[in-house]
Amino acid sequence: MGEMEQLRKEAESLKDQIIVARKGFADTTLQEAVAGTAVVSRVQLKTRKTLRGHLAKIYAMHWGAGLTQCVSASQDGKLIVWDTLSTNKVNAIPLKSSWVMTCAYAPSGNLVACGGLDNMCSIYNLKGKDGNVKVMRELASHTGYLSCCRFVSDSEIITSSGDCTCILWDIETGTEKTIFAGHLGDCMSLGVAPDFKSFISGACDYTAKHWDIRDGNCTHTLSGHESDVNAIGFFPNGNGILTGSDDATCKLYDLRSDQELITYQDATIMCGVTSLAPSLSGRLLLAGYDDFNVNIWDALKAERVGVLAGHDNRVSCIGVSSDGMACCTGSWDSFLKIWN
Amino acid sequence: MEELDLPQMQREVESLKLQLQTNREKSSVTVADLVKWIEEGVANDPFLNADLLRTNPWVEGGKCVLL
Repeated sequence: MGEMEQLRKEAESLKDQIIVARKGFADTTLQEAVAGTAVVSRVQLKTRKTLRGHLAKIYAMHWGAGLTQCVSASQDGKLIVWDTLSTNKVNAIPLKSSWVMTCAYAPSGNLVACGGLDNMCSIYNLKGKDGNVKVMRELASHTGYLSCCRFVSDSEIITSSGDCTCILWDIETGTEKTIFAGHLGDCMSLGVAPDFKSFISGACDYTAKHWDIRDGNCTHTLSGHESDVNAIGFFPNGNGILTGSDDATCKLYDLRSDQELITYQDATIMCGVTSLAPSLSGRLLLAGYDDFNVNIWDALKAERVGVLAGHDNRVSCIGVSSDGMACCTGSWDSFLKIWN
Repeated sequence: MEELDLPQMQREVESLKLQLQTNREKSSVTVADLVKWIEEGVANDPFLNADLLRTNPWVEGGKCVLL
């Protein structure tokens, strides 16, 4: 037997052992645990602000850690930092490459980052001495598009790429600290844990992976989706993982028991999920879809309890502010909307 | 999806060995904890409690003032 064939057999055997191991810890289901819980009543959020200014499709947005600022990225070649209360543009940053697919706001509020078809992650300093926002670093070594980026701190950022890997970078030196390889398809999105010790990635191999940031190892591979995993996010307490896929469903996985807990699906929803965000308590899951809507799900009972309808094109990105007071949606219709 | 070459296959096997060793807890404990955590947070979730949004900074103040 060739070495490749032996390794293949070993891999299959290990995957079977993991399935058996999981079964050993599956002594209840979420459905059983919430059998006596009522579905939440209808959730109706209204558009409070519309942020106008981008001239083309918006691909990404990210709330700052402060409660009212956010950054958005559009293929009009601009990164805009917004004061969502006044709808004023705090910064309008022209990009070298207009093919941007992601943006991120550092928890400190000092930096923003973006990237896309240029295969690079560009870091901008918002608090430069002379008030001008300039490129601080260009992180280049991915061999595929940058699909997502998220700051761990002002000195570290994680990126996910169409080259099937994620990278942890040292922003100061502009070098790779750790390469997280293992996905068999383009990595589409990533999320950092609330305690910053781990992160999760969703990919076109239909799986999500949970990684330890310090030792670089994959601790969990979450399967079940039947198409690309486009959107991913930690459950607010860090113990759950939410995924959204082109198979028109979202799923909740429990990290501690390594189980798939529930699927959020409806026969009338036949288009892909583009983005997702949990509400502050995690009781609601807000998910953006290709059909221009955001569906609001009761996360425990897996029933739809609301819809955010207002965009004239695909909802590409969504985020809930850190105090849970507002939700922001970004769309291919070039607008961002603030809802609560 | 990619076909793996030999070094990638070796890394996949090593990764699977580590993933097998991941610590797992009984779901009866972890799911109960998750549900409890959510239910405790619901009262403070602005999307589930209209009164938390009474001072909603994104809504324009009314033009009338009670004297």
